[in-house]
Amino acid sequence: MSLNVQFINPFISAAGQVIESETGAEVERGGVTLHKSGTTSKEVTVALGVTGDVKGAVFYGFSEATARSIVSEMMGEPVPLFDSLAESAIAEMGNVITGLASVELEKSGYNCNIAPPTVVHGRGVYISTLDFHRLIMPMKTPFGEIEINVALKAAGE
Amino acid sequence: MAKILVVDDAQFVRVRYRKLLGGEGHEVVEAGDGQEALQMYEKEDPDLVLMDITMPVMDGIEALEKLRERDSEARIVMSSAMGQERMVIKAIQSGARDFIVKPFEPETILEAVDKHTG
Repeated sequence: MSLNVQFINPFISAAGQVIESETGAEVERGGVTLHKSGTTSKEVTVALGVTGDVKGAVFYGFSEATARSIVSEMMGEPVPLFDSLAESAIAEMGNVITGLASVELEKSGYNCNIAPPTVVHGRGVYISTLDFHRLIMPMKTPFGEIEINVALKAAGE
Repeated sequence: MAKILVVDDAQFVRVRYRKLLGGEGHEVVEAGDGQEALQMYEKEDPDLVLMDITMPVMDGIEALEKLRERDSEARIVMSSAMGQERMVIKAIQSGARDFIVKPFEPETILEAVDKHTG
């Protein structure tokens, strides 16, 4: 699978905007690396499928503590447990980031649709659709690291 | 104060709406998808519907069209993480009064509610 590096930038930009909007915190981007693995690398992973002129998948990985800290900021109150409400919040954040990124992709001429998010619990969980190359960008936040995984290619490639 | 039906498959979003709008004295009723929204609309007769687009079972655009078929005066504001122009156009053509793109500021929601229930 050939990956187009230009596809990751809209997600990095969108993630920064959404995290700042939801939590007031600034994010610092790390370096992009290429991985091929079928397993999740963080305790909580939000996964979204992308179809259309660009297709593949996008994943956002968090430690559970990071996810809880972010959700606490989003809720405006402490979140001691990663329960269904917290799961819903972190999934919604992934949904909003991907939606904003899709707008940028559309401006570049790539119309795409996004499937509703799925939350995967556990590090090292095997997901068959993860078994392809993906670009990974760690983003540092005051709440811990968020890992953006982008495995997208232009349709027809 | 208004009765507002919030429709979103994300529990977090519904809770956020409930806190925000309930704090302003509005009555909030909820649905988790478009099909449930049709049932709740009939049961609760809300003054305004705030509805997401991307939802399981029945999406927001289909629910919007069905609600407008049943009640041509239904006041519906759509919201979506997908801010693409075609979704806005589709929603407005289907009778939405307004369109809010996520992530939204609380003031944006409150202004929309005031505008369409005032």
